[in-house]
Amino acid sequence: MKKVNLVAHFNEQLFKTDLKATDKQGILEELVNLIVENKFIRNSEIVLEMVRQREKLGSTGIGKGVAIPHGRTTATSEVIIAFGRTDTPVDFDAIDKKPVNLFFMVIAPPNDSENTYLPILGTLVTTLSHAETRKKLTHVQSYQEFLGIFTEKIYD
Amino acid sequence: MIKSQMELLVSLQDLDLMIEEAYEVEKFGFPTTGCDELKKAREELASRISKPFLFRYKRLREKLKRAIVPVKNDICLGCFLKQPTSVGTRAREDDQIFTCENCGRILYWLE
Ligand SMILES: [Zn+2]
Repeated sequence: MKKVNLVAHFNEQLFKTDLKATDKQGILEELVNLIVENKFIRNSEIVLEMVRQREKLGSTGIGKGVAIPHGRTTATSEVIIAFGRTDTPVDFDAIDKKPVNLFFMVIAPPNDSENTYLPILGTLVTTLSHAETRKKLTHVQSYQEFLGIFTEKIYD
Repeated sequence: MIKSQMELLVSLQDLDLMIEEAYEVEKFGFPTTGCDELKKAREELASRISKPFLFRYKRLREKLKRAIVPVKNDICLGCFLKQPTSVGTRAREDDQIFTCENCGRILYWLE
């Protein structure tokens, strides 16, 4: 699978290390609101509906404290990635039943011309499978530091 | 809560794409055991959409992978043809289906 430079898809406005929500629905809402408030998407209802329904397919909490809620929607014209973190891990119905503190929400258009959406998901999963990366993300303070985590190593 | 017919149609396509791509994301380690539940939710959503809207969507989906496409800066992102500004104004006000004259896809204005 093709590797993607994730840094090119991050945005400082969509970086939030103090999510307030304490449950799964709240986390989804808070991340969608972050995207809408920063004007990356106009219609929050459509996106919220999509990410909520997505969880019916199976939890996007893929274990070890990480969740990657994702999906395509006609309400966007480009791929958007929002990062959020909670101080206290939240029950996200994750596959390993462990609570989650690291969240990456990936929203993609129905048809992205460069076809980056699936490679982005794959690259995120691979990168976050490294314990060292998760540990750094749990402690990261600034956006610059955050970008550094994704630039310092190109994982296989 | 989603109210308009056009928004419901957009949501329906979102779910259809999700169901189609379930196998792709499963490869990354995302569980897809709830596929039947998702299909049920899809039918429930479809039941809230008027028959003529649903019919047009289905017809387009048979021909094209994406029946509804976003419009940005008055440009259809299905075929990149510029749409008349007046159509955009009407589309934002009326809960009606507007299609691209060039590619025939249903248009959804992003801004
Ligand atoms: Zn078109």
